[in-house]
Amino acid sequence: MRELSLNILDIAQNSVRAEAKNIEIALLEDENGWLTFRITDNGKGMDAETVRRVSDPFYTTRTTRRVGLGLPFLRMGAEMTGGSFSIRSKPREEGEGHGTVVTAVFNMKHIDAVPLGDMVSTVCVLLQGQPDIDWLFIHSTPAGEVRLDAAELRSILGEEVSLGETEVINWIRDYLDEQYSSLNP
Amino acid sequence: MKIKELRDALNLRVLSEGDTEREISGGYCGDLLSFVMGRCPADSVWVTIMNNVNVLAVASLADAAAVILAEDTEPDEAVLAKARAEGLNLYTSPMTAFELCGRLYDLLA
Repeated sequence: MRELSLNILDIAQNSVRAEAKNIEIALLEDENGWLTFRITDNGKGMDAETVRRVSDPFYTTRTTRRVGLGLPFLRMGAEMTGGSFSIRSKPREEGEGHGTVVTAVFNMKHIDAVPLGDMVSTVCVLLQGQPDIDWLFIHSTPAGEVRLDAAELRSILGEEVSLGETEVINWIRDYLDEQYSSLNP
Repeated sequence: MKIKELRDALNLRVLSEGDTEREISGGYCGDLLSFVMGRCPADSVWVTIMNNVNVLAVASLADAAAVILAEDTEPDEAVLAKARAEGLNLYTSPMTAFELCGRLYDLLA
C-alpha cells in the first residue's frame, strides 16, 4: 500500500466481517517516530490455528478469491521498517471477551515506511459503510489527540439518526479535520 | 509468445515452473505489491525485485503468466516451495528490471 490508511481500511473490514459491534482503531505516535497501529474488535474471533495462518497470503476466509492480502501487507509494511506485527484472538465459542486485536508497529523514519495518508477519509468511509457499529477512533500524537466516538455521537443525535447520513458524515469530516488542524497550527 | 520461448530467449533461470505453454499477452514492472495487484494485466509477465511470499499471492491474484525476479534476486526455500505447490512460473535473471523490460518489450512487439 502506498498509504497506511488504505491498509487500515482493509483491515477494519475484517472486523466488520467478524460481526463486531465495537471496533477501536488506535494510532499511537511517540516522539521518536514510532507509530503503533492497533485495532481491537469484539467480533467472533479465531481459533489458534486460524491466527497462525492469517498472515499467510494464501489463507483467506473469502470464497470469492483465493488469497487475502490485508494482514500480510500490514505485516510486511511494519517489518520492512524494522517494526513488528502481532495478532491475538479469542473465539466466540470460548465465551466472554471474544474478539481480535491486531497490532502493527512502524518506524516512520525508516526509508521504506509509507506515509499514514488520509485517516479522516478512512474513518468517514468506515462510518458511512457501517453506521451501526460503535467505532472508536483515537489518534494520539505528542502534539495532542484526535478522537471520534460513534457511540457518543449516537447518544447525542438519537437512535433515529443514522451516522451514515451525508450531513452527519460531512459534519464528522469537518470535526476530524478541525482536530487535526489544531495539532499542526 | 509462449512462456517457454520467453524463458529460452531471455536465458532465464528457472525457480519454479507450471504451464510453460501459456501464451503471454504483455508485461508489467513494479515492486509495490498492492499497486501491482490492481494493475498487472492477466497473462502478462511481471518483473520485480521483491521476493517474499506476497509476490506469489499477488501474481496468483492478478493471474500473471510468469514472474521474473530481476538482479538475481533469490527467494527463500519457503517461497520456492509455495511457488512449486501453486505451479507458478517463477524465474530469476542477472539483468536489471530495466534491461528485462526492454528485452521483453522487443520480444513482444
